[in-house]
Amino acid sequence: MTDDPIADLLNRTAAQDRAAFRSLYTAASAKLMGVLLRILQNRSEAEDALQEVFTRVWLRAGRYDASKGRGMTWLIAIARNLAIDRIRARGEATSDDEDAMHAVADTTPRAETRLIAAGEARRINECFDTLEPDRAEALRGAYLAGLSYIDLAARHAVPINTMRTWLRRSLLRLKECMEA
Amino acid sequence: MTDAAFTPSEEDLVLAGEYVTGLLSLAERAAVEARLRRDPAFVALVADWENRLADLNDGYAEAPAPNLLPAIEARLFPVAAKPRRNWLGWLGGAAAAASLAVAVLVMLPPVTPAPVIATLASADAPLRYDAAYADGALIVTRVAGTPAPAGQVHELWIIAPDSAPVSLGLLAEASLTITAAKPPAGWVLAVSLEPAGGSPTGAPTGPVLLTGEIRL
Repeated sequence: MTDDPIADLLNRTAAQDRAAFRSLYTAASAKLMGVLLRILQNRSEAEDALQEVFTRVWLRAGRYDASKGRGMTWLIAIARNLAIDRIRARGEATSDDEDAMHAVADTTPRAETRLIAAGEARRINECFDTLEPDRAEALRGAYLAGLSYIDLAARHAVPINTMRTWLRRSLLRLKECMEA
Repeated sequence: MTDAAFTPSEEDLVLAGEYVTGLLSLAERAAVEARLRRDPAFVALVADWENRLADLNDGYAEAPAPNLLPAIEARLFPVAAKPRRNWLGWLGGAAAAASLAVAVLVMLPPVTPAPVIATLASADAPLRYDAAYADGALIVTRVAGTPAPAGQVHELWIIAPDSAPVSLGLLAEASLTITAAKPPAGWVLAVSLEPAGGSPTGAPTGPVLLTGEIRL
């Protein structure tokens, strides 16, 4: 047992425990649905993706290692990767700029409020604060809404390579700050 | 894309960060995922970014999800069906799987279309395989979509009720023929995406792309 109930359920799921798998669905489906809806912006696609996420969770639970990270972090990574692959496959350049902007504007302040309230996120916020505000916002938008370089370049009205250079340097600074 | 200002280790660090934040195109993501399968040091870089950025996950509001467990379980654990005698011993163990592997032959599709007993499809992918049975052979043919990307392969599985999937072989060509008894109705055929050479573990490791129930 650990202090991470999701990790315990994942370890039992890895041992083919179907009751644990059902408990995992009960415990995590609402959060994962939130992730999928935010990125896919479409309920029926999100529901279809949720089925695939849990299919992958059953098949891959044996690869989860509780010493390397929390259970929910691992689950959210599976959901984000699936959703991002699906929106990229939908069409690289079809992302509606206005929708993307709305998606970011919609919950970024809420995210920040919660992060500050949580207290434990001070470091990542401090590190985001060391970046130029528009670049920090672009990185958060990429993470939360699944925006690509192409989406962000359109939104910020800069060439893709400019956005790429900005954000690659910002990522490096973020990493250095978090490790400092 | 590289940046002259970055050292090689910084390049890797930034690429892992680009992947985790979700900035990359589909092709770039596929390249990163291929590397993740063979480069444990890079896997650790990606895991580190996932953990460090995990606090951003608080920005995802929970959303009520319908109970999709019945559909998920039906896909993973197909309901019991009455097995026919020729298939009884199939999933008994490695010996059965090994003898099957020997029986797998890659052939051209037959000239006369055999009756289709399962359609392997997914609502969200253009990919489709049809499974037909004729003259003592199961013939699985890609009828829509494209082969797996370079470095990956589609792998065919059969799943008996309450049993783990057993590989029937790699769908490296447009069609795969397996000499075998006719599989019973209610069993499920599935296609997963695996690294070139097929699943290294004997069980599906990649995403399950398609499933189809056998209907006779």
